[in-house]
Amino acid sequence: MDWTEKYRPSHLADIVGNGTAVHQMLDWARGWKRGTKPLILYGKPGIGKTSAAYALANDMQWEAMELNASDTRTKAIIERVAGAGSTSGSLTGAARRLVVLDEADNLQGTADKGGAKAILDIIRDARQPIILIANDLYGLASDLRAACDPVQFKALPARSLIPHLKYICSVEKVQCNDQALKDIADNSAGDMRAAVTTLYAASIGKQRIEEPDIRTSMKDGRASIFQLIPAVFGRCAGAELVRMSYEVDDKPDAIEQWIEANLASLKGPEATAQAYRYLSRADEYIGNTNRRQYFMLWRYATVTMLLGTNVASGGHGIHERISSPRRWQRMASSKRQKGIRTALLGKLGGLIHMPQQTVRDGYLNLLSILAEKDPLFFARELDLDADQLGLLIHDRAKAITIAKALAVERREEDKREKIKAQKKTAPEQKIKPAPAVTPARVKAGVLETVLPDEPGSPPPPQQEKQQKAGGRQSTLF
Amino acid sequence: MEENNTIWIEKYRPVRLADIVGQNEIIERLESYVRNGNLPHLLFTGSAGVGKTTAAVSLAREFFGESWHMNFRELNASDERGIDVVRNQIKQFARTSPLGGATFKVLFLDEADALTNDAQAALRRTMESYAQTCRFILSCNYSSKIIDPIQSRCAIYRFKPLGKAAISEEIQKIANIEGVAVTEDAINAIVYVAQGDMRKAINALQGAAIISPSITGQMVYAITATARPDEIDQLLDLSLAGDFEAAENALSQLLHERGIAPNELLNQCYRTLLNRPIDPMLKVSLIDHIGEIDFRISEGADSDIQMEALIAKFVMTSTKKHL
Repeated sequence: MDWTEKYRPSHLADIVGNGTAVHQMLDWARGWKRGTKPLILYGKPGIGKTSAAYALANDMQWEAMELNASDTRTKAIIERVAGAGSTSGSLTGAARRLVVLDEADNLQGTADKGGAKAILDIIRDARQPIILIANDLYGLASDLRAACDPVQFKALPARSLIPHLKYICSVEKVQCNDQALKDIADNSAGDMRAAVTTLYAASIGKQRIEEPDIRTSMKDGRASIFQLIPAVFGRCAGAELVRMSYEVDDKPDAIEQWIEANLASLKGPEATAQAYRYLSRADEYIGNTNRRQYFMLWRYATVTMLLGTNVASGGHGIHERISSPRRWQRMASSKRQKGIRTALLGKLGGLIHMPQQTVRDGYLNLLSILAEKDPLFFARELDLDADQLGLLIHDRAKAITIAKALAVERREEDKREKIKAQKKTAPEQKIKPAPAVTPARVKAGVLETVLPDEPGSPPPPQQEKQQKAGGRQSTLF
Repeated sequence: MEENNTIWIEKYRPVRLADIVGQNEIIERLESYVRNGNLPHLLFTGSAGVGKTTAAVSLAREFFGESWHMNFRELNASDERGIDVVRNQIKQFARTSPLGGATFKVLFLDEADALTNDAQAALRRTMESYAQTCRFILSCNYSSKIIDPIQSRCAIYRFKPLGKAAISEEIQKIANIEGVAVTEDAINAIVYVAQGDMRKAINALQGAAIISPSITGQMVYAITATARPDEIDQLLDLSLAGDFEAAENALSQLLHERGIAPNELLNQCYRTLLNRPIDPMLKVSLIDHIGEIDFRISEGADSDIQMEALIAKFVMTSTKKHL
């Protein structure tokens, strides 16, 4: 049996690392009641997200039900499987049923039509706990993200993998020397599953494992960039550099980023300028490769950036730690910014019936000024979250306050709705006159149907109503 | 003579793991999986013609013996690369139980780097959910095109380009069986042309054998439309010595009389320059010029003019010293 399955932790206590995340999950599960937000577990592959979800279900004695990307996830199917799971009780008499939506960031555009929307609907209406799992938090639609509480899983440090690997070795009666274990751990880049797979692959048919045994079956790439980069800045023949770059197996665009991240170690502005000249040349080749899908050009990118930087460095070598590309971190945060911007423009565009591009080019300033005057109206009307509102009114602190106020307002409204619904079910005839009032109010520009004469619920604040009416007018121009 | 119609790369494709040459460490591990009747998910990476497909098929054959056809399925991801393949075909194969007393089946997904990211994402949980009934072997040229979550589920085996010894041994063996004579010069030519790709090597041998039963280096270069290493050297020497006219003659000879494609010529110049012991800065500039010309030709520029411009650029670069 495959060791990754065999040694999949069945209790939360057995999950290696990520203590904070595990506690967060446990608190969530213990305090779970209807209306509690679902969790999103996110982080790199192989660090225990799926295992943690199942371990949690096991510890809580809940049933677990999974839906992943290998299943078709159109709206109808998600509703049938997860919807039933989440609104109806469990069959086996377990207290609850945990719905696990694995690979939630991989809903496929056309193949999974309506999938994202269906998940959102189910989440809002769920009677059972739901956990979503994703590699990339920002790969999820923003409204889906907002409807859940994120739990971050971090890559495991190499040393924390070793005890678990040792434990497996002892159970399986395999001797593995310390250096080999360390190599496996280092090479797995914090991925426990990769580490266990490597150990398993190396151990079949062997009682003793030493370093050479694992070399053939290690997780690819990643580690050897740490050999390539010093060589580029050191004394190394050109052909040898090119050969190494093929072994690293990172694509040229990634290698380019790594080289750039370490250009600071060059001596003097001439060397830096020279290196950038070669690097930008390589960048042209990479761009043309991607644009034309003519992969022959890759090798020229490789040669110009590796040999060119090598020439520029004069073989002085790197004396500090090798830096990883900062741009990747920046890209991650700019991806988030872009998501916020797109969502905001989409909503504004809907309001004034224009494409996003037009809104951005000609109307954003005007809308921004209007929104600064009456942020609550805009937030309410367009359903903006704190990030989106902050971007619109250029005031993050204020946006957060308003978003909170709006959340309170929504909850109260929900409460009122519920009371209303309860009333409706009991003596239905008595409220008959009410509908006659409601349409008139809608016409007057108030969107939600509020029954002012309803006992038991506080009347909506007068001031807000006025604001709302005012805001409405201002956008009708 | 039906024999003569069979293509040698199929005729001499190794049947047993032990017959695969040049990948000893990997083969040793795979044989050990067979002996123990156990198999992790595997990812084979490496360039073309180094034995990835052969290893997967031979592994299945030795693993299942008689019933290997029933328990082994090969899918080429280049042909069917969308998510529906994973959700339908692959899942269907993976979920049904193995036949003939085997404990699991093997699905071989060739050129898995051609799968779309959507399809790869769909594959990852399938690999785990059906691990009891089905093991996956994936093959690809670049493992960086395989998403991390899948790499994390596989034992990765990197197939090296085949060395000179492996290729010449295999070529010699086939030549003996086929009754063709190959000179040492011919073997060297085949090794040079093949660049570590056994398929290319055997193709070159069969191509030359059709012309004559005694094969020389000359014939190998001719049949594969490749310039001889010394011809490339001469072309480079002349242009780097600043003799444009002589270099232009050599170029015209190669392009028009020998009929070597401009692409192939660029390719050979690139390889030769990369390994030449010359000033590194000069080396980068020259290879950069090749790249520029390669790009322009691929964009539809006239190859004769571009190739001559390249030679002119070489002449200028060598006389001006760099740039």
